[in-house]
Amino acid sequence: MQVTVLLFGSLTDIAGVNRLVLDNVPDTHTLIQQLNERYPGLQAAHCLLAVNYELVKDNTPLPENAEVALLPPYSGG
Amino acid sequence: MTDRKLKNIFVQGAVAASFIADSIQQHSHKTAIGGHSIFLGQVRADEIDGKKVAAIEYTTYEAMALEKMHLIREDIFAKYPLTCMHVYHSIGLVRTGEICLFVFTSAPHRKAAIDACEETVERLKIELPIWGKELFEGEGYQWKENR
Repeated sequence: MQVTVLLFGSLTDIAGVNRLVLDNVPDTHTLIQQLNERYPGLQAAHCLLAVNYELVKDNTPLPENAEVALLPPYSGG
Repeated sequence: MTDRKLKNIFVQGAVAASFIADSIQQHSHKTAIGGHSIFLGQVRADEIDGKKVAAIEYTTYEAMALEKMHLIREDIFAKYPLTCMHVYHSIGLVRTGEICLFVFTSAPHRKAAIDACEETVERLKIELPIWGKELFEGEGYQWKENR
């Protein structure tokens, strides 16, 4: 099952990308693990996770074709 | 997720003073309005480690930002007796001295307009997924963090 991952702000500098598609990620913990392995610089980064526009805190199952976003601290306004 | 048509708050580049003036003018036929409250955010020439900010480049997770703004709008209208509310936030490059945020509330009475405007500004700064990249004069940048 596929999920799209969007990165924003300073995370795009760390990872060097702003969009990925990942396979076989059943939940957010697995997703974070995979991202940290692929982009070790992300491990120290402080960010929130959103799944289909809703912020999630704990390990959350990912529906098929979910859009996951990694959101560093906001600075709008 | 929703199939509602969400109000777009994003404008490309700085908010022009003429746009603000036109917005005010466009409300003159709404004769139930007794007070407007307007907040303008302007890019400040902050100095960081001896370098001066020349501009801020704004990016956003647009779909989520518009959803969240819709929820803020609904809360504000439920809480305050407003006639209307308009929010505009810049995307892309805004130079120091230029306007990057325009929040405009209108009501029959001033207290609702003033309080709603303030609460909207505070909430959007906390809740909207928008990021500012501070570009320094010359070279270099830093990601802004709201306090």
